[in-house]
Amino acid sequence: MWWGGRGQSFNIAPQKEEPEMGSVQESRMPEPRSRQPSSCLASRCLPGEQILAWAPGVRKGLEPELSGTLICTNLRVTFQPCGWQQNQDTPFSSEYDFALVNIGRLEAVSGLSRVQLLRPGSLLKFIPEEIMIHGRDFRLLRVGFEAAGLEPQAFQVTMAIVQARAQSNPAQPYSGITLSKAGQGSGSRKPPVPLMETAEDWETERKKQAARGWRVSTVNERFDVATSLPRYFWVPNRILDSEVRRAFGHFHQGRGPRLSWHHPGGSDLLRCGGFYTASDPNKEDIRAVESMLQAGHSDVVLVDTMDELPSLADVQLAHLRLRALCLPDSSVAEDKWLSALEGTRWLDYIRACLRKASDISVLVTSRVRSVILQERGDRDLNGLLSSLVQLLSAPEARTLFGFQSLVQREWVAAGHPFLTRLGGTGASEEAPVFLLFLDCVWQLLQQFPADFEFSEFFLLALHDSVRVPDTLTFLRNTPWERGKQSGQLNSYTQVYTPGYSQPPAGNSFNLQLSVWDWDLRYSNAQILQFQNPGYDPEHCPDSWLPRPQPSFLIPGPPSSVWLFSRGALTPLNQLCPWRDSPSLLAVSSRWLPRPAISSESLADQEWGLPSHWGACPLPPGLLLPGYLGPQIRFWKRCYLRGRPEVQMGLSSPTISGLQDELSHLQELLRKWTPRISPEVHSKKRDPHTILNPTEIVGILKGRAEGDLG
Amino acid sequence: MLGKGVVGGGGGTKAPKPSFVSYVRPEEIHTNEKEVTEKEVTLHLLPGEQLLCEASTVLKYVQEDSCQHGVYGRLVCTDFKIAFLGDDESALDNDFDEKKKTLFGQLKKYPEKLIIHCKDLRVFQFCLRYTKEEEVKRIVSGIIHHTQAPKLLKRLFLFSYATAAQNNTVTDPKNHTVMFDTLKDWCWELERTKGNMKYKAVSVNEGYKVCERLPAYFVVPTPLPEENVQRFQGHGIPIWCWSCHNGSALLKMSALPKEQDDGILQIQKSFLDGVYKTIHRPPYEIVKTEDLSSNFLSLQEIQTAYSKFKQLFLIDNSTEFWDTDIKWFSLLESSSWLDIIRRCLKKAIEITECMEAQNMNVLLLEENASDLCCLISSLVQLMMDPHCRTRIGFQSLIQKEWVMGGHCFLDRCNHLRQNDKEEVPVFLLFLDCVWQLVHQHPPAFEFTETYLTVLSDSLYIPIFSTFFFNSPHQKDTNMGREGQDTQSKPLNLLTVWDWSVQFEPKAQTLLKNPLYVEKPKLDKGQRKGMRFKHQRQLSLPLTQSKSSPKRGFFREETDHLIKNLLGKRISKLINSSDELQDNFREFYDSWHSKPTDYHGLLLPHIEGPEIKVWAQRYLRWIPEAQILGGGRVATMSKLLEMMEEVQSLQEKIDERHHSQQAPQAEAPCLLRNSARLSSLFPFALLQRHSSKPVLPTSGWKALGDEDDLAKREDEFVDLGDV
Repeated sequence: MWWGGRGQSFNIAPQKEEPEMGSVQESRMPEPRSRQPSSCLASRCLPGEQILAWAPGVRKGLEPELSGTLICTNLRVTFQPCGWQQNQDTPFSSEYDFALVNIGRLEAVSGLSRVQLLRPGSLLKFIPEEIMIHGRDFRLLRVGFEAAGLEPQAFQVTMAIVQARAQSNPAQPYSGITLSKAGQGSGSRKPPVPLMETAEDWETERKKQAARGWRVSTVNERFDVATSLPRYFWVPNRILDSEVRRAFGHFHQGRGPRLSWHHPGGSDLLRCGGFYTASDPNKEDIRAVESMLQAGHSDVVLVDTMDELPSLADVQLAHLRLRALCLPDSSVAEDKWLSALEGTRWLDYIRACLRKASDISVLVTSRVRSVILQERGDRDLNGLLSSLVQLLSAPEARTLFGFQSLVQREWVAAGHPFLTRLGGTGASEEAPVFLLFLDCVWQLLQQFPADFEFSEFFLLALHDSVRVPDTLTFLRNTPWERGKQSGQLNSYTQVYTPGYSQPPAGNSFNLQLSVWDWDLRYSNAQILQFQNPGYDPEHCPDSWLPRPQPSFLIPGPPSSVWLFSRGALTPLNQLCPWRDSPSLLAVSSRWLPRPAISSESLADQEWGLPSHWGACPLPPGLLLPGYLGPQIRFWKRCYLRGRPEVQMGLSSPTISGLQDELSHLQELLRKWTPRISPEVHSKKRDPHTILNPTEIVGILKGRAEGDLG
Repeated sequence: MLGKGVVGGGGGTKAPKPSFVSYVRPEEIHTNEKEVTEKEVTLHLLPGEQLLCEASTVLKYVQEDSCQHGVYGRLVCTDFKIAFLGDDESALDNDFDEKKKTLFGQLKKYPEKLIIHCKDLRVFQFCLRYTKEEEVKRIVSGIIHHTQAPKLLKRLFLFSYATAAQNNTVTDPKNHTVMFDTLKDWCWELERTKGNMKYKAVSVNEGYKVCERLPAYFVVPTPLPEENVQRFQGHGIPIWCWSCHNGSALLKMSALPKEQDDGILQIQKSFLDGVYKTIHRPPYEIVKTEDLSSNFLSLQEIQTAYSKFKQLFLIDNSTEFWDTDIKWFSLLESSSWLDIIRRCLKKAIEITECMEAQNMNVLLLEENASDLCCLISSLVQLMMDPHCRTRIGFQSLIQKEWVMGGHCFLDRCNHLRQNDKEEVPVFLLFLDCVWQLVHQHPPAFEFTETYLTVLSDSLYIPIFSTFFFNSPHQKDTNMGREGQDTQSKPLNLLTVWDWSVQFEPKAQTLLKNPLYVEKPKLDKGQRKGMRFKHQRQLSLPLTQSKSSPKRGFFREETDHLIKNLLGKRISKLINSSDELQDNFREFYDSWHSKPTDYHGLLLPHIEGPEIKVWAQRYLRWIPEAQILGGGRVATMSKLLEMMEEVQSLQEKIDERHHSQQAPQAEAPCLLRNSARLSSLFPFALLQRHSSKPVLPTSGWKALGDEDDLAKREDEFVDLGDV
């Protein structure tokens, strides 16, 4: 059955039923023939969750086939393999949970020829023998139902899924979830990812970046400047809050220029919305706007982030096409695969993003200047580019912690409308910009496998998390809504949760869960795989600040103002559109058409390469990604999870052989350790950290994983 | 190479590209000149190599980056290579390569620009504007003559080299590659594969008395009378390739000559009937005949596809590259090279299924049994026999199936440039198929993709005899091994398998896959075939579950299911309800749904997203494709580092354990101490100009001496600090 699904993201063998547990299980597992779900099933439920229907079934399409129970609740569809509960230490299963919102396509199969596509409201025309749940995250779950008198249950559960899906509300989070291991909380975990909801978080981050000319502004503390902006952000030291408020009013949706990232070499990366052209600012306002954009630099580059990048509609269309292409039964012939892939344009968009991000990193690195990312809404591509630029230029952003804070800062706190973009509020403005970003990051990971602390599995986990309503991180459009929901504001209101009688205890909101609490859905073994075994921290020494810090003078008007567009810098007469010339973003004639596709990369232009190249190569820490056709690859492990060809050997003689050898060696070493001289010891890293089995698995898989080009 | 010349002419009529307008000014040349005269570079000549012509004041365009500039030097053409001597670069050479000459202005006697396209897809551009006219004339006509005009076999550099360097050549005693040029080798192979029960090695063709196409020794079914072999000069004879653990065997047969005469046809028919009777009778398994001449690839298709495919990577300048880049995937697809690879792999899987699952013998049929036969039978063996995935085993396989199997390397590579039509990259296609396997299952192979890349380069180095003959007979007659009585001592030609001729030990570590683990029980001295029994029995993920070709209920049910339920969905893969296709699908899917045993049967994925471009081979000279500090080499270096640590731990333990000094093993450090390697490593020019690749092409060791190597390493370390 080649079209069977795997839907498995991790390289961990499924737990088999353990025979010695049998007796215990018997009492806890539902009697296969009974028509009542046992108490055990209910005990696995979340607060407020109701089991609507269930049926025993067998997960298909994978060796070994697992028998278990398919359960439909008012929140999710889940498959619980037999013997699963004993081993499960997380409230959710990343493998078998399908949030109702995540169900992209539902098919019932019966007999040998009947396949029915189940849309919301459609009526099942037969007793299904098998159900196929295609996730919008490219996962696939195939469950075959047992015959022998249980047909009504199969029918019921299928219909229940159809109905529940129709009624599901994407904005409704699961409620009352607590971390599985009570004591675990924040104590035992690594430094928690700052949610950037307090001024302290911003101040800490500012200090970390050594952005000395900047301060945390509290002007938006009550979200009265802009609801889509975070409560705190960074503005230049010299600008008063009153000036900030005035200046921001002249930008689209009040999203004025804020610091995104301070390059250790002195440059600043800013982001802002489009100029609000209808407004008529006075001279003082214009001066405030200008000095905020200028940020104390004499060299200012304005980057129009919408130029040469796909529109939101483009992204959405490409993603839909990609999903259609990756369906297990897509009708593309093998020898037409490449052109079909090209036809989705998804890879094209990735390439455009990487190219632009690479150019901007060069702008930021090559000279001390202020680089301003300007997008009309400032909530989509600006976040994408600013994050990519930081990944390319800042080694800290490539650590697991750094990346999570980056996403939290540039996407979540910056007000990327996750709910809308992921289709939570209707299809009109849906555009998976964030998923496009994750694919870009994956490309970087492929191209620089030693420079990232996190692995492909981490990206996959993040990819799959965007539609799981367990935390508010991706469930709200703005920080304001998010804060309102989690009761951070004083306007705390009890959220109505159907069927959930017991009101949440007062302290349940103290520990606000975010997507970064991975142990909600991922087991420890899975979280271990978030680490990239090939990460070589030597690649990014801590002291990678080669450039002299220029004196932070306050110059007069900027000596040079540039517009970066179509891969080239064009001089601009002024920064703001209002004074006497028409708006930057409104009039396109100010942009010169790109002369030709420049073969000369911006790196060459900016550093005067190649004559300069030999003596002064790329600054350390800076990655310049390849964005040529053969270098942009297809994220197979993510998009083809529904197809079996992605399956990898779960274990292999090579790996187990290496494991054996290693454990043997370590055993011997332990024996000999007292006799190892200290210098030897200091040279060698702790053998346990050098190689653990999962690392080897990861490495091998990384190698087996191929490039498409 | 007239065809190529026409292509070049076409290029010449294109509007001159703007990138060539603003080149280096004469003043700059003069400054360069000083430098050059300071460090006069001498040309290293191999034994027997002769300088043919040269030209000075030639500008070599450095096309590694978008900025155009040139390096000034001397262009030299010998009977082995074209070398450019300039600056600090001693020689960028290549042996008789394909070349395209572009003339600006058709009638100009003295071209200003010379573009050389190498077979390994490098492109060199030389500006002859500042060269003396007579030198231009001489060098251009010299190069054209020596690289484009047809020549005689005896004029190959191979022979001058072998004659001159006769005494230096010492074959590496550690080289265990089985050459299959003795009866003993064939018997050993028979024993290794347990084929000796039903097949026998024959020496009927000793001295090539019967047939010049066949090797001196080969293997046929035991009951086959030897006079049958002689009857049609070896045509129509089932020749054994390999035996499977379950007793089924892979055979090949060259078709009988096509005849018009009914009488002869009748004789042929009865002859074939007789032959088939022998191999259809027990103890032989049911034979399935696979005719590769029809219903499969044609050589013409392969040739066309490769020449289209190749154009994607032969980049004269960056602008061209960017232009093609937009439509990369469709261009790639339209070349259909990847599709041809897929079809080859699929065919090999089908045959594997017949042998493994249905226990059938497979007889490959082709006109001469020396092109697609070699390809398919090698692929099948690579998938089924883990021994072939070791380096020695792979080399022996190539010896057995390609060199002794009579693949016409001389014609297919067009070494003599006598017939362009015969030039078909079948062997390269094979290597590309192997690359797909290596890429998909790295731990299963002892060799790396780098090994395959340098092997593909070695095809054109005329100091190795391996790939320069059409048949063992041709080799033996030309080497004088045939006529033992003649006065001349037989020439001792180098074999490509002696990698130490090309590469220093350190560079050779790049050819060995650090992740490969031999089967624990496997004895290193692989001459003892007995050891294999145990290992191979262990290694069968799919053994005997459906050994019978007829499979009752299960089989019918499957058919039914597939035809009805899945018919629509998988119609793209199953075009007919052909039983073969169903078996194939079932076999393929069931193998892929199970964990991979790297020492057992190994099948490639052949779906659209899985067949990929051999990036290392095809992209390695394109500077735009370079990712500084990135690429797979970053993982590899980390891996090697880890392996080293394991190794050193092991050594330390051994040392303590035995309380004696263990020999200090020098860890391979090519990849160490280098913060930022390029993704094109080990081939890339790490910097934008004038640096040598770590793994140079075309026998640099023979060109340089030990000092050179030391220098090279210094350079490498310097670059590592980048």
